[in-house]
Amino acid sequence: MNQAILTWILAEKDLKVECRSPQAFLTTIFFAVLILVVFNFAFDPGSQATREATPGILWVALLFPGIIQLNRSFQSEMEEGTLYGLTLSPIDRGLLYMGKLLANWAFLVVVDLLVLVVFIIFYNFSFSVQMLWVALIIVLASVGFTAVGTIFAAMLCSMRTREVLLPILLFPIIIPIILAAVNGTQEVLILGETEFLKRWLQLLISFDVIFVATGFLLFDYVVAD
Amino acid sequence: MLDSPISLLQLSRVTKTFGPVKAVLNVDLEICVGDFLAIFGPNGAGKTTLLKVIAGLTQPTSGTVQFALQNYKIGREKVGYVSHQSFLYNELTGTENLKFYGHLYGVSDTTGRANTMLDKMGLRDACSQRVRGYSRGMKQRLTLARALLNEPDLLLLDEPYTGLDHHGSQLLTEVLYGLKEEGRTILLITHNLRAGLELCSRVVIQNRGEIVFQGLRQQVDVAEFEKLYFQVVEDSKGPRRT
Repeated sequence: MNQAILTWILAEKDLKVECRSPQAFLTTIFFAVLILVVFNFAFDPGSQATREATPGILWVALLFPGIIQLNRSFQSEMEEGTLYGLTLSPIDRGLLYMGKLLANWAFLVVVDLLVLVVFIIFYNFSFSVQMLWVALIIVLASVGFTAVGTIFAAMLCSMRTREVLLPILLFPIIIPIILAAVNGTQEVLILGETEFLKRWLQLLISFDVIFVATGFLLFDYVVAD
Repeated sequence: MLDSPISLLQLSRVTKTFGPVKAVLNVDLEICVGDFLAIFGPNGAGKTTLLKVIAGLTQPTSGTVQFALQNYKIGREKVGYVSHQSFLYNELTGTENLKFYGHLYGVSDTTGRANTMLDKMGLRDACSQRVRGYSRGMKQRLTLARALLNEPDLLLLDEPYTGLDHHGSQLLTEVLYGLKEEGRTILLITHNLRAGLELCSRVVIQNRGEIVFQGLRQQVDVAEFEKLYFQVVEDSKGPRRT
């Protein structure tokens, strides 16, 4: 069977499971909104300093809750040993990674776009064309985030301390993604210009490619024993 | 003239250790096409680890597992595995689970094959229910359906009778007889001596990782075998080798 179709079948299975038992979805959304609310109360909403900090606040609200989904994606595969079922099958293990990555990415993009809407309302931004650029940054940054997160989540899924270890391992690796995402968002939201945005987008795409390719090649070793 | 048996699987000096614990120790075993091998042994004897090594779920610490000597082709797509865990997705229906695995194993008509297996296991009425709502026995039958979906040449069964009621056990025995008739190669781990001896063509006893007995079923006296088995079980209660 075509590898793209197989990847889709793997991702579709994960999305179907998540839709029927949306624990991770609801928890992730709730956590993200909670972060936005806490920051909204912690800082003076009308001050310039708060406004300048909003790109950072948005990305804290987008990245930290994403950890819940990454952990959940492999934890659910351990419940009935389905991860073994997958690794026993004759398909290329790189495809298992791609399927998981696609499902995690689709899930996070949906969550993140909903969080963006809440962010726009809470922090008094308008639904303008600029927000489409932010949405594009979210879509691209989510690829790198899930690419690294998926491989680490697979590595840690059988460990008891996985919830703590995943962010500790993940965030230092994705610093280039965070840097590009926050700066790109700042360009659009605060400075209102897109002059240097292209560079940040290029950086995001470059790291997406590197992280996805690395994950694809390493996944076989991660689930080997 | 009798056909000489075709070797399907050859284990040479296979050892698997977990830290200081030797779960499987120097196992030499040859399995031929059409063999029905029953592996008995007390808890902690290393039977499940041995099966995992054969399935490719874990790599041996030393030794080799070689498939398909001569011209017999076998790969992962031709191995079926029933483990302690079901490998089923609780949020998917019975049909969805089988179709999903059918796609992974490259089964050509996944819907048709899934329906055939559901009929065979008596699960057609429950096929559109989510697996979460299945009883233990239903889940076990669906697990068997999953393992047989790709018509495996080698079927690995790790205590498949666990959790099955009388009807389920009977159904499983019938299915296994059918597979034996078809000439499929089967490795069965069970604590059920009677069921195992009834079905198998070869018997093996494993204790503390090592194979301590193996022989052809027809050469084994049931009473003697039971005595030996219970002696091994008693022996296993002593301190474990590290």
